[in-house]
Amino acid sequence: MIELKNVGFQYENADSGSLCGVNLRIGRGECVLLCGRSGCGKTTLTRLMNGLIPHFYEGTLSGSVRIGNLDVAESELYDTARLVGSVFQNPRSQFFCVDTTGELAFGCENLGLPPEEIERRTARSALEMGAEDLLGRSIFQLSGGEKQKIACASVSAMGPEVFVLDEPTSNLDMRAIGDLKNTLRLWKAQGKTIVIAEHRLHWLTDLCDRAVYLRDGQVEYDLPMAEFCRFSPEKLQSLGLRALSLADIRNERTRPCPEETFLLKNFLHCYRGREPLALDIAETELPKGGVIAVVGGNGAGKSTLSQCLCGLKRGFGGVCVCGGKTYSRRQMLKKSYLVMQDVNHQLFCESVEEELRLGMSGTDETGLWKIMDALALTALWERHPMSLSGGQKQRVAIASALLAGKEFLVFDEPTSGLDFYHMEKTAALLRALGGKTTVLIVTHDPELIVRCCDYVLRLERGRAVEQYALDEAGQQKLRRYFDREERMEILHG
Amino acid sequence: MSTLHSRASSGRLTGKDLINTGIYSAIYFVMIMALAMTGYIPVMMPLLCVIGPLVGGIPFMLFLTKVKKFGMILIMSAIMGIMMALTGMGFYALPVALVSGLIAELLWKRANYSRARSSVLVCGFFHIWLWGNFIPLFMNPEGYFATRAEFGADYEAALTALLPPVMNPVLLVCCFVFGVLGGLLGRAMLKKHFIKAGIA
Amino acid sequence: MGKGILQTSRQRRGLILDPRTKLLMLITVSAFVLGGLGGDRLPFLVPVLCLAVLALFLTAGKYRAAAIYLSVYAAANLAAVLLLPRLSGFFYFLLLGSVGIFSRVMPGVALGAYVVSTTTVSEFTAAMQRMHVSEKITIPMSVMFRFFPTVGEEFSAINAAMRMRGISFGGGSPGKMLEYRLVPLLTCSAKIGEELSAAALTRGLGGETRRTNICRIGFGMQDIAVIALCGGCFAAVGLSYLGVI
Repeated sequence: MIELKNVGFQYENADSGSLCGVNLRIGRGECVLLCGRSGCGKTTLTRLMNGLIPHFYEGTLSGSVRIGNLDVAESELYDTARLVGSVFQNPRSQFFCVDTTGELAFGCENLGLPPEEIERRTARSALEMGAEDLLGRSIFQLSGGEKQKIACASVSAMGPEVFVLDEPTSNLDMRAIGDLKNTLRLWKAQGKTIVIAEHRLHWLTDLCDRAVYLRDGQVEYDLPMAEFCRFSPEKLQSLGLRALSLADIRNERTRPCPEETFLLKNFLHCYRGREPLALDIAETELPKGGVIAVVGGNGAGKSTLSQCLCGLKRGFGGVCVCGGKTYSRRQMLKKSYLVMQDVNHQLFCESVEEELRLGMSGTDETGLWKIMDALALTALWERHPMSLSGGQKQRVAIASALLAGKEFLVFDEPTSGLDFYHMEKTAALLRALGGKTTVLIVTHDPELIVRCCDYVLRLERGRAVEQYALDEAGQQKLRRYFDREERMEILHG
Repeated sequence: MSTLHSRASSGRLTGKDLINTGIYSAIYFVMIMALAMTGYIPVMMPLLCVIGPLVGGIPFMLFLTKVKKFGMILIMSAIMGIMMALTGMGFYALPVALVSGLIAELLWKRANYSRARSSVLVCGFFHIWLWGNFIPLFMNPEGYFATRAEFGADYEAALTALLPPVMNPVLLVCCFVFGVLGGLLGRAMLKKHFIKAGIA
Repeated sequence: MGKGILQTSRQRRGLILDPRTKLLMLITVSAFVLGGLGGDRLPFLVPVLCLAVLALFLTAGKYRAAAIYLSVYAAANLAAVLLLPRLSGFFYFLLLGSVGIFSRVMPGVALGAYVVSTTTVSEFTAAMQRMHVSEKITIPMSVMFRFFPTVGEEFSAINAAMRMRGISFGGGSPGKMLEYRLVPLLTCSAKIGEELSAAALTRGLGGETRRTNICRIGFGMQDIAVIALCGGCFAAVGLSYLGVI
């Protein structure tokens, strides 16, 4: 079905992600995993298959890519679109319409199908995906998982033979991953060919038939999935890959949780016009200086909690009692900092140095350079923050928070879309931040949690349902929780 | 082995160009509307011809870096005109926008879609569309109060004091001049931020 | 601003007009109230159209908006009647001029608010297609409507970040205030835009076949009533110029 012959590609204005001499044949009905470190070229490979290369991303291409009888480089994008359906990483940016029904029909409308046929097709694909209750809604009110479901259904309605997915779970929680898994099962059962580039591997072990490992733009391993699954956890780590099973995830170190605590009091928040409280924590005690994982499914109140803690909700009446002092909302705004999932929102200046000086408390020159050293930013001090890599941007944001004298750092999904190597680096950084500052990490990533957290706070429907230190027993609990979450949707589907 | 460099400009607007036009129209329009809200006090309204082009120049100059084919500026102008009609500001901006957009478009084509100095002028001509919103206020001034004889004459005097007919061409020039200044501001921002950030 | 300009889903709507009817109404109000067509010959048309705008709000079930519109409209007229005789000099002229401009612009803007709050993006796109507007306009406009809520989301995230850094007011400089917002806003929007383009193109946007549309729109009784009103207004002007009325 898919045939790549001696393919090489070099992006016009980037070095990473280039390919060199790739040969790959994928048969009809096969489900193939593409994996490797960030920048190994797996995303590039998906773009070659759906025609975005060379028609959208510019660069130098050699060799040939054929899907069925179609030469991708010679055909127009909209012709390739009939044959290849694509699902992307970010659910927020891949929809074109503002309502779900329109979005499902979008692809078919582009094909110029008659309205009756479109209605038949969208109804069927909504039914198959279990997305009927999402119809007729505004896309802006959907969760990330629901958006991804709509994206899949929309592509599915066009009836392509090949599905190409590029890191589709980066922004999803365990339950949504379960949903996506069902979708892939369905496509597989329909005999479609599936190519999926992914960092998180645990949900694909029983789904894919074949694993292709890329290193520096070349195919290093091309194995049946069963053989790939026999790789030891150590071998996977040395390849820069995430764990194949959640059971493999364990903590190498156990650090005692800090004794001192702080108190969240009266953490209640209700969104206007929606009845049940989005956040409903009367009082809770958390370790001061700890690295705290905040887990919970969609709508559990994780992001509401982080916004309240950072003093961002106007009219919020809760307080934080820490070290004998009581901080009101306004004081929390000064004392805490939220490192957003899209760090681009919080970089304002034209150089790293200026960025760090902005909002610095006091003029402690040695402190500035010390923190820049500690976060490995010294060499970058003249660069424009927006020109840095994702990890570097994150470190600039952290440095600016530390220099502003923040005591609470809240991270929203700091490792979404990161490979093993970068995830471990981030984990080490977050672990090092603990002690002096209190770190809260909102995350769906169990591998990150066991690597850097001391404590877990689990939310459900706005309430703190569980909180425990991440010792041996705590790890068991955490693993059980993620296991259950992953299975939840499978039973449901 | 065949080497193929991606085909850049074939002259015809592609889906990517149309989407880019839509995105920058959205950013630009939101900014203009945000400013217009402050201009709801009628006395402030003429000031829109000063602040609008000045601030709007920044997203517009970023937009220009994406314009490599004929039609995108014209489409953006038309959209602004349609949006004005849709939000009840009248249909007068649409024809003005089409003319000013066409001039801007032709100028940018002559500059081979790249010359920095022309881009500032293009920005100036583009912003003349804002002037179109003020045309009805200079037309037929006695219309509304015509029924109230007691205010009739005074109203005309008041209106001439607030919006003297000479203001009409002044606003037009304002839009252009501050559009050029906005273009310069936008160019400065391009150099300072957007080129380094890799989006220009 | 988070909600965008046109509506994203059909919820809680009263009497629905076809977008094309709304457009005709916009043209009429724009011509008569804002543009002063009809002038002193047909002075009754302006209040009639202003009331029609009020009626539209009511039929759409937007009672709050109707009340606001009515009170603002009444306040402007009352100010003219009650306050003006007591003022003199500069303030007299200022108020008179302001009221005049305001009462001409306001009904149109209110109608605009009605149109954008009762029309969904798909209806609007379908209407444009029916009116044979080129895809070179309809595609960018759909993208634009899709993008408004995104701009709002991005903007509020940036604002939150600025508040945490204590730089909401840019250290007192309006230039910095603008710069700190625009740099992340434009950078993020450009990136989202790129991803959006990629997703749309892989689903076949920009092909040679003309796009179809599944949104059903059409004229009903209510449309005929509004069209008759608008037609009547223009006919009256025509007749008055011919000297019949």
